[in-house]
Amino acid sequence: MKILSKSGFAAFVNALIQDTSRDVEGVKAKGPKFVFGPLDSASELRLDYDVTILPPKKYVLPQYENMMKFDIAQGKMVMTEQPKGKIIIGVHPYDIAAIMQMDKFYLDTHVDDGYLARRKNILIIGSNIQNVSEKGFYGAMGTSTVDSGYDLFITDLGDSYAIDIGTEAGGQLLGAACQRDATPEEAQKAKSINDGVAERSRRDLRVKPSSWHDILKKSFDSPVWKEQADKCLVCNSCTLVCPTCFCYDVTDEISLDMNTGLRKRTWDGCMLRDFTSIGSGEVFRENVEDRYRHRFNRKGMYLPDGFGFVACVGCGRCATQCVPDIADPVNLFNKLAAGTTALLAEKQLAPVGVSDLGAASGKGPLFVPMPATMKRVDKLTEDETLFEIGLDNGQPMNYQPGQFVEVSVMGIGEAPISISSAPGRDTFQLVVRNVGDVTNALHAMKAGDKVGIRGPFGTGFDTEGLKGKNLLFIGGGLGIVPMRSFINYVLDHRDDYGQVTILYGCKDPDALLFKDEIEEWDRRDDIQHMRTVDTCVEEENWDGEVGVITTIMPLVTFDPANTIGVVVGPPIMYRFVNKSLLSMGMPEENIIVSLERRMKCGVGKCGHCQINGIYVCKEGPVFNYKDVKQHPEAFE
Amino acid sequence: MSKPRVAFFDFASCEGCQLAIVNLEEAIIDVVGLIDIVSFREAMKEHSEDYDIAIIEGSITRPMDVERIKKIRAQAKILITIGACAHLGGVQRLANQWTPEENKAEVYHRHPGGTEHTTDANKFFNQPRQRAVDEVVKVDAAIPGCPINGTEFAKVLLALLQGKSLPIPDYPVCVECKKNENICVFELGKVCMGPVTRAGCDSACTNRGHECEGCRGLVSDPHMKAQTDVLEKYGLTADDILRRKTTFTYRYEEEAQAQKGGE
Ligand SMILES: Cc1cc2nc3c(=O)[nH]c(=O)nc-3n(C[C@H](O)[C@H](O)[C@H](O)COP(=O)(O)OP(=O)(O)OC[C@H]3O[C@@H](n4cnc5c(N)ncnc54)[C@H](O)[C@@H]3O)c2cc1C
Ligand code: SF4
Ligand code: SF4
Ligand code: SF4
Ligand code: SF4
Ligand code: SF4
Ligand code: FES
Repeated sequence: MKILSKSGFAAFVNALIQDTSRDVEGVKAKGPKFVFGPLDSASELRLDYDVTILPPKKYVLPQYENMMKFDIAQGKMVMTEQPKGKIIIGVHPYDIAAIMQMDKFYLDTHVDDGYLARRKNILIIGSNIQNVSEKGFYGAMGTSTVDSGYDLFITDLGDSYAIDIGTEAGGQLLGAACQRDATPEEAQKAKSINDGVAERSRRDLRVKPSSWHDILKKSFDSPVWKEQADKCLVCNSCTLVCPTCFCYDVTDEISLDMNTGLRKRTWDGCMLRDFTSIGSGEVFRENVEDRYRHRFNRKGMYLPDGFGFVACVGCGRCATQCVPDIADPVNLFNKLAAGTTALLAEKQLAPVGVSDLGAASGKGPLFVPMPATMKRVDKLTEDETLFEIGLDNGQPMNYQPGQFVEVSVMGIGEAPISISSAPGRDTFQLVVRNVGDVTNALHAMKAGDKVGIRGPFGTGFDTEGLKGKNLLFIGGGLGIVPMRSFINYVLDHRDDYGQVTILYGCKDPDALLFKDEIEEWDRRDDIQHMRTVDTCVEEENWDGEVGVITTIMPLVTFDPANTIGVVVGPPIMYRFVNKSLLSMGMPEENIIVSLERRMKCGVGKCGHCQINGIYVCKEGPVFNYKDVKQHPEAFE
Repeated sequence: MSKPRVAFFDFASCEGCQLAIVNLEEAIIDVVGLIDIVSFREAMKEHSEDYDIAIIEGSITRPMDVERIKKIRAQAKILITIGACAHLGGVQRLANQWTPEENKAEVYHRHPGGTEHTTDANKFFNQPRQRAVDEVVKVDAAIPGCPINGTEFAKVLLALLQGKSLPIPDYPVCVECKKNENICVFELGKVCMGPVTRAGCDSACTNRGHECEGCRGLVSDPHMKAQTDVLEKYGLTADDILRRKTTFTYRYEEEAQAQKGGE
């Protein structure tokens, strides 16, 4: 620990400002409040602040960020340059803890290389909490102090600053400015100043963070959610100001030349209705109480399950910004606690810990698609078209049936689409229904046109593990599209599998996909096949059944106990099909489903696809029914 | 692709929205290079009846307006409204809460200078209602705001040319306001319609510490009950609340008439 006089510190900050290699941002006054913003001089710094309106997350994940730029004529998509590095001065411990959480999240599994590049170039100078904000409860959350996550950490000793050097980069930054080492007394004083904050910043939180998990689990059906949500403005402020909310939306913006443009991401939030809406009109969290509950569950249950930390650092910002005053975790947990006498279990929580930014590295640009070309475009029905696509690098796609890709049309956007062809060929096929912007633009394409491809993403069907098993495929509507990849794989390797039955239902005869292949299914005697339509005009040429898909399930012969059911279709369909299969005696673990959700990123970052705590894009879309049925949001 | 031919028309309005377009910054003016403007009273003399896209400013007031807008609709492939007047009826729509007689009395009798003569001669006061354009003809897209935001206008034109859905958000002003790191005006002792108002203005008013008056109309699922509770909590009377709700959002017109009838 070092000691720097107050004037020495001001000179140090001014020198940082003079040196233009990094932008210097610090806490400043904004009217009666405080914000992080560019510093013109050390005298602007307000280290006596209580809390800033927005957390410093705005530097690691900015409100608006360019992800890539494109040039349609040249078919080029490249990452945008990262802005200049930054030094952020005055970050309180709870915000440092939140940034450590974000690092863990954004560098997990699929490393967000844009985030990493920016993050590596940000130095954090933490500061002790001189004034406790009215709504802050970091003392109760264990985040009033941190012992890592900063490059430098300063503690105001009255006439001087004690400076703790957290990283080598921090030491270099301080360099010659540092005046002397702290005496043991000074170090002790700094420690007790920081330790003393906890007592003043507990508020009256009556549920320990380690018990949030248990009380939320017990409270899923509590009346509290609706009571509170009825007062909710659905303004989304609570997630936007939260340092541990980091979901986002993605949009393409074209420039006035109608050729070049940018793909951008911007903060989104789970309180907004559109966050979970999908093309079929389904909104997975339609009721405000579902969204309101999701926000707390994510903080107290889902992220603790997935990452081992509670995603609330007690900054109190949500409590301050929620006009009807329902977003405050202290009030909410106290309310839940008042409603239960149950003894609460404690969940083992791991300290977040510092991510090794130096060692983290991505597998290449996560959000920049590979250039690809339409090889064949084949209109299947009024609304659905098949696209055969080849990557421009000449490599075949390496995927499992059931996985999906993100397809980009430059200037329009990106959409997750399942791969419909069986693996093992140079090209792959997608079948797309025309529902909106990207799908519309795809439908306007012809052979030779350029698209972008990211992926393959998600889990596929376990083609290896299912060898030797009897398979019952039940596809509804577009569900046949991802299923076809698996069906064709099985037909390519027919001897590896047992009895194969395919049930396919769609709206009406005109909606039937893959007519040629279906005729082939009819001809083959090593598979059973039946098809049905919901409605059919009498004179229409239709040789299948009429009625919803559950009506044909009893018409085929299969041994429920020794068959694997593969169910893919719209939510309304799989809800009923799963019930029927179970009632026919199929064990839960024999049912495999593929679930559709709203998706943006495809790689577990943007937050749209969550079913309770599951990221469908990463852990699904293919699931074993047994593994997801306990999640209320999966099938209800 | 040949450039789409665009014509601007104004109805009952202050023409502020057309001015917002005339005043577009240079960069945005390039948008105009992507289209052929065949009629624009604010900016040019020529006029043509041959257009693909009609851009309408102003509310529908007189019978002759109805005829005119129907003709425009018949000619245009795409009809877009700009501004709160065309989108919602504008502030002038507040007149609908009273009878023409009451309005006449309010304007001409209570104030010195108004004479019987003017009142009688002014046949416009006998119009029963102010109407938004979509109450008279089909509207393909509405660019909200009083006045419109020039950047949004440019973005909408670009999206139209791309065949993309229009980038008009369906979340509340609070979202933009928070991203802009404003001090919430509720914390300053004011009240705000931002939580139920459609964003897209980049929270123009609250960025300057002003209350949002809701000029862009409501989001599609406004939580008006919660909003009303909040306004009450912040000390507004039922009348004040109604005034806030009806300034731009005529959805509450009937409620307002009922409340006035009950007085
Ligand atoms: C894992 C997965 C696999 C899919 N596979 C296929 C497929 O093989 N074939 C196919 O035709 N479609 C598939 N979809 C659905 C497809 O992704 C959406 O229809 C598409 O993203 C809509 O994009 P858009 O730009 O055309 O529509 P938009 O203009 O963005 O929106 C139009 C409508 O689509 C909804 N929507 C937007 N994004 C999504 C989304 N990611 N998922 C669902 N609905 C959305 C919106 O709520 C809106 O109602 C799949 C979705 C997922 C999640
Ligand atoms: S939930 Fe509220 S108190 Fe907790 S970190 Fe987020 S904004 Fe702060
Ligand atoms: S800030 Fe409050 S009112 Fe707004 S969405 Fe969150 S809980 Fe609802
Ligand atoms: S919407 Fe407002 S600015 Fe536009 S014309 Fe009407 S009154 Fe004028
Ligand atoms: S000032 Fe208005 S728009 Fe901004 S956050 Fe507050 S209520 Fe929402
Ligand atoms: S802040 Fe409100 S009143 Fe102001 S421009 Fe936006 S919508 Fe209109
Ligand atoms: S987290 Fe972005 S789609 Fe799953």
